[in-house]
Amino acid sequence: MSTKTRTLRISAIALASMFLCWSVAARAQGTTDPTIQLKVLRGAAAALGQIRMSDIGMTNPPLPLLDVVTTMEISGKGSVYIDGKPVNATYTAAFAYIPPAMRVEIKGEGAGNTVHTIQTVREEYAWNESERGAGLVPGKGMATPAMASAKSRLLQLWILPYGVVKAAIAAGDKATISTAQGSTVITFPLSGALAGVTVTATLDAKNFITRVVTKPDNAAATDLVYEAEYSDYADHGEILTDVKSPGHIVEKLSGKPLLDVKTTKVDADNPYLVFPVPPNVKAACAQAGSSR
Amino acid sequence: MRFFRSCCTAAAAVLMVSPAVLVAQNARPETRHPTNAAPKPTGTTPRAADGHPDLTGVWNGKGDSLTGVPNQLENSGVLVDDEYSAHDIATGTKIAAFPRPAGSTFGTVATAGAEGERAASLLRLVGSNRPIYKPEYWDEVRRLDDNANEEDPSNRCMPAGIPRAGIPQSITQLPDRFIFIYPGQGGLIATQTMYRMIPADGRQHTPLQKLDGSFTGEGIAHWDGDTLVVDSWGFNTNTWFDQVGGYFHSEDMHTIERFHREGNTLTWTVTVDDPGVLLQPWTSTPRVAVLNRDPHAMLAEGLPCSERDLGLTVTKEHH
Repeated sequence: MSTKTRTLRISAIALASMFLCWSVAARAQGTTDPTIQLKVLRGAAAALGQIRMSDIGMTNPPLPLLDVVTTMEISGKGSVYIDGKPVNATYTAAFAYIPPAMRVEIKGEGAGNTVHTIQTVREEYAWNESERGAGLVPGKGMATPAMASAKSRLLQLWILPYGVVKAAIAAGDKATISTAQGSTVITFPLSGALAGVTVTATLDAKNFITRVVTKPDNAAATDLVYEAEYSDYADHGEILTDVKSPGHIVEKLSGKPLLDVKTTKVDADNPYLVFPVPPNVKAACAQAGSSR
Repeated sequence: MRFFRSCCTAAAAVLMVSPAVLVAQNARPETRHPTNAAPKPTGTTPRAADGHPDLTGVWNGKGDSLTGVPNQLENSGVLVDDEYSAHDIATGTKIAAFPRPAGSTFGTVATAGAEGERAASLLRLVGSNRPIYKPEYWDEVRRLDDNANEEDPSNRCMPAGIPRAGIPQSITQLPDRFIFIYPGQGGLIATQTMYRMIPADGRQHTPLQKLDGSFTGEGIAHWDGDTLVVDSWGFNTNTWFDQVGGYFHSEDMHTIERFHREGNTLTWTVTVDDPGVLLQPWTSTPRVAVLNRDPHAMLAEGLPCSERDLGLTVTKEHH
């Protein structure tokens, strides 16, 4: 073999190896190809029943499919962990995405105590309510500011399956699609108040989101390290909407159990759920801002 | 020798072409721009003898006014930007959109598939602009909405009332009064034909306690610059104040409607104040009507209302 031939052969092998490495690396890192993104996110949204045709009653040209999930309420029964201790409880999460807000009410008994908490968040405001809507009308209930938990509560909203789809779409070309152990995985950064948190969601063969993990850039922010597992998807609504919700929800916070409930009731028909911020909570937030 | 040279050439070509392919893939397919946005106004705004805009006309030129099925999306306060994007009008929040499958039309469920099913029910309330009731009424609003098939006054042939009736299809503007006509809509929104005669002669409201509550209330008009303001009170409680949502009100409801004409378009908003039940006044998302392009257009006969046999209601699904 001539020197020239040997050189060509080595060059060919080198080039082929480079291409192979490049391809493998690309697959491992995931793709931001919008065509693949669109297919995967559309598939996930469709599995949840989150997108519908939007031109009923119109004679305009056909409109696109729209994300129709704005407000929803999911109730369940099971174990809720308070200060690390399990409480047999009913759990009701009422939530909205425009604007982002969530009210989690827990009623239960455990360790000889009756538990009743209502934890609410709306955008940057977080507060605890002695009753739903406390603090909005003078003399009716008490709203206690809880600003330190605003991010953690807000993150609970975005790790719900509908939140994952919305946030992944909002992430645009920062969302990557990859494959791990045969499952499709969506990875994307959150923005706004939750900038610096990366969400990784795993889809099953039917495109349902089955596992969600969050990771903050700041390792010290342990209240932003969630793991959620969703299974037994179905339309659990009394009013049928074809919006699918998980029949079993398991959540961990910073590796410790937080929630393990079976769904008992879902209202996905964009029910009337509102989250006005009580004046004393706004004032406390403003004061905290001015003293910083 | 030739084989190795070919390999080299092929490998180099693949390496060079691959990024190009990726770049091509990264370019989003050509975006189309279907939208539900109101048409841009055309023409000049005619003026009445007193110099104010003349609102006289038949305002059903958009072709999608209520004829049985409400324009859920517009009423919901959502604007479609293009086939990949929409937004909530009240907050500007982006709402995800996806191009619809080729060949699918809403009118035929067979082609719409699951993504057309129960769409109307969900689309009713996608937008965020909801009135904020006092907390003690939150469950009641929800109960009314959940049970709208039975509870909605329009299913019992009640007049839609003000402000639910929205923009009148016919306006006659006289120097001292306005005449508004709202034809009965039949179909799914089964309301009666309704009219209002609204004075614009500078009179004051009758004291609320002296008024018998009515569906349209006592409306009095005045001009705020080029915007017509209709201030109404004296309502009964047999109506909801928006097309959907179970938004009941008390006898103390006070509404302020604003009509602004620009060329062949008429923009309408209403602010509802009802301090007994609402935590704060609520202002609707603006709606736009278009003038019928035929200057001689007549208003068609209103469709008769056919009352539902509520005893046959077997589902809570909305339509």
